[in-house]
Amino acid sequence: MRLEKCWFCSSTIYPGHGIQFVRNDAKIFRFCRSKCHKNFKMKRNPRKVKWTKAYRRLHGKDMTQDSTFELERKRNQPERYDRNMAEQTLKAIPLITKIRHHRLQKHIADRHKPGKKKELERDNKELEQDINMLPKKVISKAEPLKMKVQVVPPQTQENLMEE
Amino acid sequence: MGSHGNNLFGAVSSSVEAVTRPSHCDAISQQIRTFIQMRTNLKVVDNSGAKRVMCIQAKSGKYGAKLGDTIVGSVKEAQPRGKVKKGDVVYGVVVRAAMKKGRSDGSEVQFDDNAIVLVNNKGELIGTRVFGPVPHELRKKKHLKILALAEHIV
Repeated sequence: MRLEKCWFCSSTIYPGHGIQFVRNDAKIFRFCRSKCHKNFKMKRNPRKVKWTKAYRRLHGKDMTQDSTFELERKRNQPERYDRNMAEQTLKAIPLITKIRHHRLQKHIADRHKPGKKKELERDNKELEQDINMLPKKVISKAEPLKMKVQVVPPQTQENLMEE
Repeated sequence: MGSHGNNLFGAVSSSVEAVTRPSHCDAISQQIRTFIQMRTNLKVVDNSGAKRVMCIQAKSGKYGAKLGDTIVGSVKEAQPRGKVKKGDVVYGVVVRAAMKKGRSDGSEVQFDDNAIVLVNNKGELIGTRVFGPVPHELRKKKHLKILALAEHIV
């Protein structure tokens, strides 16, 4: 039993799932679900389809180079069975997956950092410039925060009528 | 798992699983994926001389032949100097089927086209070479010669 990777989205294909398509040049395409299979039949390039791993890795959205990927590298030579090694590998697998997951999340968070900073700056600027768009009640409550506030004169209508 | 055509076994006469909605992607790569039945054209992938065979009868199966089954066919197109001529009635073993076949490990395989290898009524190959990939379903059906000659076993 071998856990394969979907050709289109690169997710793991567990036994009992998906379809294998064999092309006449003997190249095998494995798909995890019909979504990927149908996209393939539409001749879509996975590197251009946003939700696939291929796209994400290509466009730097996901981590590409890390030592945690070494464990899953395909080795075409079968290892001679050794009980200790098997035990250690089985212990290591969940650890390594956890580490890889954390590193991936960190990679994504780091990617979002400059964007978040810009967003904060934009919000501050908006608050500064457009504070008078807020209703009077909110502004008066916000006074203790020492913001520049434009006090709206209460008799605007009478002023207009005078003019 | 294998949603083996939920309407296929319900249909009596023709069980066409084709995409009937015309879409922009239709004509390109939508092989009609159904059983191999009477009038099905199959490609011949050995060097027996025939090129195209039309199925006359599926030897087994209520709805038609699947991957690994034997069929009786009529040669529709043949190479000028070959072991079979146009119009011959021949037996063939299906080595590639566009309809997906379930395997015991839960996976499903499907090929790009429908292809056969010509055989005589005893099951011996007429040709001496087989082209393209063949599935290992043939091992269970005892077509070991085909597997031995195959370029690639899937």
